[in-house]
Amino acid sequence: MQGNEVALQDVSMRFGDFVAVHPTDLTIRGGEFFSILGPSGCGKTTILRMISGFLRPSTGRIRIGDGDVTDLGPNRRPTALIFQNLALFPLMTVWENVAFGLEARGVPKAERRRRAEELLELVALPGQADKMPAALSGGQRQRVAVARALAVEPAVLLLDEPLSALDLKLRQHMRAELKAIQRKTGITFVYITHDQGEALTMSDRVAVMNQGRIEQVAATEAIYNRPATPFVATFVGEHNVFRGRVVGVANGHARVETPAGRFVGVNADGLAEHDEAMLFVRPERIALAEGHPEIDNQLDAEVERRDLEGPFVNVFLRAGGRPVVMHLTNVGDAAGRLDGRQRIGFAAEDALVLRAGQLASE
Amino acid sequence: MSNLTRTYGPFLTGLVLLLTGVWIIALIILPQVNLIDRAFVYVPRGGEAQQAALELERAQQRIATIDFDIRATEKEIAQAASGGGSAGAGGAPSPSNPFAPGAKIGSSNVVRPGMPTPGLAPPAAPPEQRLKTLETERAELQGQLGGLKERADRLKAEQQAATGYSLRNFTTMSGLHWRIFGMTLVYSFSVTVLCFLVCYPIAYAVAQTRSPERVALLMLGLVIPYAINELLRIFAWVMILANRGILNQLLDTLGILDLAQGEAVHWVASNGAVFCVMIYAYILFMVFPIYNTIETLDRNQIEAARDLGASTWRIHWRVVLPHAKPGIAVGSIMTFMLSAGSISVPGLVGPGLHPDWFSQIIYRNYFEAGNWNIGSAQALLLLVACTLFILAVMSLFRVSVREIAR
Ligand SMILES: Nc1ncnc2c1ncn2[C@@H]1O[C@H](COP(=O)(O)OP(=O)(O)OP(=O)(O)O)[C@@H](O)[C@H]1O
Ligand SMILES: [Mg+2]
Repeated sequence: MQGNEVALQDVSMRFGDFVAVHPTDLTIRGGEFFSILGPSGCGKTTILRMISGFLRPSTGRIRIGDGDVTDLGPNRRPTALIFQNLALFPLMTVWENVAFGLEARGVPKAERRRRAEELLELVALPGQADKMPAALSGGQRQRVAVARALAVEPAVLLLDEPLSALDLKLRQHMRAELKAIQRKTGITFVYITHDQGEALTMSDRVAVMNQGRIEQVAATEAIYNRPATPFVATFVGEHNVFRGRVVGVANGHARVETPAGRFVGVNADGLAEHDEAMLFVRPERIALAEGHPEIDNQLDAEVERRDLEGPFVNVFLRAGGRPVVMHLTNVGDAAGRLDGRQRIGFAAEDALVLRAGQLASE
Repeated sequence: MSNLTRTYGPFLTGLVLLLTGVWIIALIILPQVNLIDRAFVYVPRGGEAQQAALELERAQQRIATIDFDIRATEKEIAQAASGGGSAGAGGAPSPSNPFAPGAKIGSSNVVRPGMPTPGLAPPAAPPEQRLKTLETERAELQGQLGGLKERADRLKAEQQAATGYSLRNFTTMSGLHWRIFGMTLVYSFSVTVLCFLVCYPIAYAVAQTRSPERVALLMLGLVIPYAINELLRIFAWVMILANRGILNQLLDTLGILDLAQGEAVHWVASNGAVFCVMIYAYILFMVFPIYNTIETLDRNQIEAARDLGASTWRIHWRVVLPHAKPGIAVGSIMTFMLSAGSISVPGLVGPGLHPDWFSQIIYRNYFEAGNWNIGSAQALLLLVACTLFILAVMSLFRVSVREIAR
């Protein structure tokens, strides 16, 4: 898998005075499904375009496999890019679209056609070879774009929010198909998205970006369970945030004084006393604490609203003037009737204390 | 239709439809019908009928001149009788002298050979004798007139009986003119191709420019020459290409040739000069349609093609050109029609020095030979050729009329 590893060394991109991507070191392992996740305008496309060769980085080197590709144009890199709007060629038939890369490599027509049919088979589009792209549905066009990119047998497939134009059902379906294709072909996928659900379900590893910086690179579980920064914590999934100051540290835990009370959490950043801190708790880790004195952190909160999500109930509360969200598993009518003042709580192991910083919602 | 009425009201709609109808009938259909009609009517020139008509006219003119001279001579005699005889003989202006006051009163002041010699010298013969000679001549002519008139009328009637719709305007066109016609189509086609070769890169470059200010600037640069009168635009090139023009002077300054020695490159003496000026004159008609289509091309398609390993050439051939086809078709049709019909460019750039264009032949038939029928026939030929070209381009590019109108 060495042949399709992507390594960025100290790569940055400036447009005039504006730094779109700050100096970044990043290694994408060969054959993995790697996602770059971040809000709009954070520089995801810029990174992808540097890997594909459409942008020359302002600093740093890019390596794919064993070769330095920094100075190569996009047509000479072992990458294939799937554009956000797919960019199929509307005046060519489906099979000509798929075979375009082969045509550019001088493969004879009969062989091109054969390969195109094979690839269309792979992306579950048999029998559509002679249609025009405009005659296909959104999902089918998506598959044609994938087949067209795979036709050049790239070492790395770069996908720029390829599913954003599809409706939810189709998107979920295509996620599974892309993942399957990735497993079948063993190609490195670099997948860009601003949809954290998409990143978590599809990827082996995820990089979370914010304002031109990669804040964390980790496997999906780690991203969700052990976010490295306040931004990642709030961008990926939901989090209750309690701001405050560290009032005590002991064996890997920190006690934080917040307007809603004093809470203990895992001291992931190794904070010391008096440091500005933020304590994060996932809504699903909060439970009703009435009659559970063993729960480390407890607080009183006023129920404001309940939304039934189906498998769970989203309960919006207010504690110390701050909103708190909690998910209650839907096991009957009890959760649905929750009302008034409630005692809620969470375990210290489920709370994360990080150095105060920027949140995603800000 | 009902849509129109609803939007603009019955009065405005009626007015618009009326004006459109008038426009179509008066400015398109009628002139075309007239042209076609003329094209198929053959009017022989220099034939017997015309000769007879000419002779008749000449005789009539001569009689009018003699009448005038007779009156003048009579006046002279009367003057001589009343006053001193010598004053009249020497001082009276010659009756046929066109510069004399009153000479223009006569039906003709055109000096023709065979007329009594006009001049300031007093006539040698005495007035009475001259009067006699004039009167005999007049009587003689008057006698001939009847016969001439009868012959002229007869020949004209014969000729009119012979004319009718025929293809003779086409069949009698000389081989030379056919050749010029063919060559003009070849020239126009070459201009179109050259214009495309020049315009496509320009249109592509402008369409690929990202900053709107630069696009505006480039467009301005293309449009500004068009704010100048077309004739001036062409004359600018005449100045450049003339034998002692800017280009030759530049070459002189560079020491490549010596104007003082009479050395000069005769730029205008070739069709190259005409082509060059035409391309300059019609460049916008090619650039704009192509620019407009390329502009609508999704840049990602170009990048996708590049990403898939296509060379620049292949990207243009497979992605950009097919997309720009409607624009190329429109630009080609316009450039071809304009150059095939251009009279100002071949007429002003080294006229007579380069091979003739068919438009010049048509012009001469209309305005120099005064033969509108042959001119119409030739104009019709050109019209048909251009129409065929349009159809050919449309089928070649597989572009429908609707796409062109877009
Ligand atoms: N060619 C350019 N010139 C100047 N600024 C640019 C250029 N390309 C991108 N940028 C800027 O760089 C920043 C990052 O852009 P980028 O396209 O990488 O964002 P993104 O993360 O892909 O966003 P989105 O999710 O909206 O696609 C943006 O602020 C953008 O305005
Ligand atoms: Mg983007």
